[in-house]
Amino acid sequence: MLDTSVAIRDIAKKLLDDKRVDLIIGFEKGSVPLRSTPCFVRSTSEADRLIWNVNCENNLAKYLPKIKERVAIVAKGCDVRSTIGLIKEKQITREQVFIIGIPCKGMIDRRKIEAKLDGKEILEAEEEDDTIILKGHNLKETIKKEEFLHNSCKTCTHRNPVIYDVLIGDKVTEDQAVDEYREVKEFEAQSHDERWQSFSDEVSKCIRCYACRNACPFCYCQECFVDSSQPQWIGKTTNLSNTAIFHIVRAFHIAGRCVDCGACDRACPMGIDLRRLTKKMEMDVKDLFHYEAGISLEDVPPMATFNPDDPQEFIMV
Amino acid sequence: MKESEIAKTEVVNLLNTLIKEYKVFAPVEQNGFITFQEIHSGSEAFLDYINSKKPPKEIFFPQSERLFSYDLSRGEGWGVEEPASEKKQKIIFGIRPCDARSLVLLDNVFDGKLYKDPYYTDKRKNTTIIAIGCNQPSNTCFCTSLGGGPFSQEGSDLILVDIGQKYIIQVVTERGKKLAKKHNEFKEAEDNSLSLMRDTKGTAEALIKSKIEVQKVTKKLDSMFDDPFWDLVSEKCLGCAVCTYLCPTCYCFDITDEVTGQRGERVRTWDSCAFPNFTLQASGVNPRPSSKERLRQRIMHKFDYFVANHGMAACVGCGRCIKECPVNLDIQVVLNSILNH
Amino acid sequence: MNNPYLPLPMRVEKIVLETEDKNIKTFSVKFLNDEDAANFNYLPGQFAQLSVLGEGEAPFGIASSPTQPGELQFTVNKAGVLTTALHNLEEGEIIGLRGPLGNCFPIEALESKDTIIIGGGFAFTTLRSLINYILYQENRSRFGNVVVIYGARSPGLLLYRDELEKWEGRTDLDLHLTVDRAEKDWQKKVGVVPNIVKEIAPSPENAYAVVCGPPIMIKFTLPVLKDLGFPPERIVLSLEMKMKCGIGMCGRCNIGNQYVCKDGPIFTLAQLNELPGEY
Repeated sequence: MLDTSVAIRDIAKKLLDDKRVDLIIGFEKGSVPLRSTPCFVRSTSEADRLIWNVNCENNLAKYLPKIKERVAIVAKGCDVRSTIGLIKEKQITREQVFIIGIPCKGMIDRRKIEAKLDGKEILEAEEEDDTIILKGHNLKETIKKEEFLHNSCKTCTHRNPVIYDVLIGDKVTEDQAVDEYREVKEFEAQSHDERWQSFSDEVSKCIRCYACRNACPFCYCQECFVDSSQPQWIGKTTNLSNTAIFHIVRAFHIAGRCVDCGACDRACPMGIDLRRLTKKMEMDVKDLFHYEAGISLEDVPPMATFNPDDPQEFIMV
Repeated sequence: MKESEIAKTEVVNLLNTLIKEYKVFAPVEQNGFITFQEIHSGSEAFLDYINSKKPPKEIFFPQSERLFSYDLSRGEGWGVEEPASEKKQKIIFGIRPCDARSLVLLDNVFDGKLYKDPYYTDKRKNTTIIAIGCNQPSNTCFCTSLGGGPFSQEGSDLILVDIGQKYIIQVVTERGKKLAKKHNEFKEAEDNSLSLMRDTKGTAEALIKSKIEVQKVTKKLDSMFDDPFWDLVSEKCLGCAVCTYLCPTCYCFDITDEVTGQRGERVRTWDSCAFPNFTLQASGVNPRPSSKERLRQRIMHKFDYFVANHGMAACVGCGRCIKECPVNLDIQVVLNSILNH
Repeated sequence: MNNPYLPLPMRVEKIVLETEDKNIKTFSVKFLNDEDAANFNYLPGQFAQLSVLGEGEAPFGIASSPTQPGELQFTVNKAGVLTTALHNLEEGEIIGLRGPLGNCFPIEALESKDTIIIGGGFAFTTLRSLINYILYQENRSRFGNVVVIYGARSPGLLLYRDELEKWEGRTDLDLHLTVDRAEKDWQKKVGVVPNIVKEIAPSPENAYAVVCGPPIMIKFTLPVLKDLGFPPERIVLSLEMKMKCGIGMCGRCNIGNQYVCKDGPIFTLAQLNELPGEY
């Protein structure tokens, strides 16, 4: 990981020196253990702050819409797929963005680690190749990274950036064998009442902070439907009806665009399993339209176009 | 008044006794984190915790609250109905000193000289606060920088100090004194218990490494409104409401009407200065059009404007915003940047 | 419990369409309960929160003067949800009112001084309240000269045209009307309000300037007043912000440490100069 950080800094400095970009968006050290934080670099001295580690969990493509400058983005597999999506949706041009691609074996979920430690606080975390050494009051434990990955990382089939301007590090092997929709299918197999109860229990935790929406690169609408007053689509209270509609409609709005980067899931302070809906959307889009988001710059997202032979069972039953 | 003590094994009994007479709120474990809920049995309370995910402000200032309901006929009998006021006395047991302090802070807003918010004050005056001090503050705690501390008594009626097998009970207010007198679970504190308490407090206070000179921040902020500093600090902010909703001293709210059938309700819901529409006027004018202005508002409100109006910063150093911010925008880092600017 | 969030019931007695674009109406409302009416004491500059139950609530400057008892008036520009709901009301329907809220024009300070009232567009509502207050028989002698400069984009967008005509006939008031864009029958001044203020050049000696208008008008009028010699302590402004509670609690309408609903909406320029430029 140390090498990757140095490589990122070198590339960043070169890009700035060559005046190839005006801004580099990457990560720097966080203020608490097991956190890294987005970093905006505009000078070679600032470039020394850039790092790469197993805590770089945010999707930096979020910051791309509205950027007018030429920008370089430090992007793992999922972030690159989001960038492709944003380019197709004309939120940024391919020429504007310089992709520093990083093959990724997954980011760790600090909440899973905290749950395992049963309340003991982590005061220091040292990352090694495959492990992390955790230290705190009456705490010294070594954990295996692969046991504490984010759920979206566990089912990732695009660890290597699909496109890039420069690739840092060697490509990693893709997991071809993973059944990424296993949890969705298990959920679908439940009865209607079980599914509704389970879904209601999950979204009842929601405090409508909109961290999920704001972390998602594809939620860039000038006015989100939740903020519309004329007409008012949903109420402001946290009753189940309002909250459920928010999550359901958001899932539909990102259908065909979501790359399952997990940013929403990671941002949620209440630990809601947001991927339950988004992963189902992703599966349905694959089944109905044979389309996978963020793989190619050429194909058209299915919700942005139509074909005469699109499935239409809902009309023709 | 002499300190008393109670064995930890007796706490469940104490709570069960209190539950007979009061509505008791205590930290409980739910969905993998701690939240303040009404308990119906002493064994539901979970006291071995750092702090709750959501601040207990929601007991006095719920996220969604009905102000009144009405019928939609727009005729003379418009059927406005206020909710019945809560008569039953409440206890919040196991709150942390930072959160207890936050209530005193919120009183400045909702229990003001000119206007009083009856929804808040009704609940507040019926509630006894029993805090438990923090033996092991978190690495994100900075309460001492804000005039608080792991055993601060501000805002509590009684405060408990964990000395291992027992809690020492310190009485803070008359209300606390009355409550303590009624319960024979409280025994007079032994001498070695008291010295244990002193050691515990010392150890805990030393654990808080963060020391930010907040008064200097306030002074600096006075001249920093137009500084380009805010462009840089706000760049990574997502503009969600995590920091504001989980903050024990944030209190911004929205008022809207929600209609179901022939009845409607005017409701108050939490709102956030981080949201773009917070200050958006119907004409389209928005005095805070980007995350720069909004982050600046949050920091300046907490550490400058609130100080000017109420003599204290609107922050208790609980660290929830630091733990939960999706992009690790750390308020301590911001404050130190202001000091070093 | 004394609940500051609870609106009082009001009957809409009369609705008058003010402007030719049909976007502005003046509502005359009356308290349903005499006790509420007796307790409602206001001064020019203050506002009230009007509710249409089921739609929402919004703040409106009180357009009538307390010297006109039994006649509480609000002038409403149709812009959003609540204002549209108000515009769709019929006479006789019931709305809610919370008030009076906010501070008032500095009446005491204006006494024995000249008052230069400068208004633009539909921000003229509380200025009208102030003018009627000053012109009131029993009050008039306590105030000095009154100069009113009021402009709108076109003649059909001027508010209170019947009243303006009556004021033109008075000798105890110097009224100057102007429009940005003249139309066939318009005989009076043509030009934007800041330019007319420059032209009339009111003297700042022993005088206050009270200014209400859209941000752009204020932006260009303030330098004119400065050049004429009005000190910031004697330039009075009425500000607008998005409001919800109206009582300084919901945290939304602040400029620095001042809340427009509670510490305002009336501020002197001197006070505003101490605050951050976020309005």
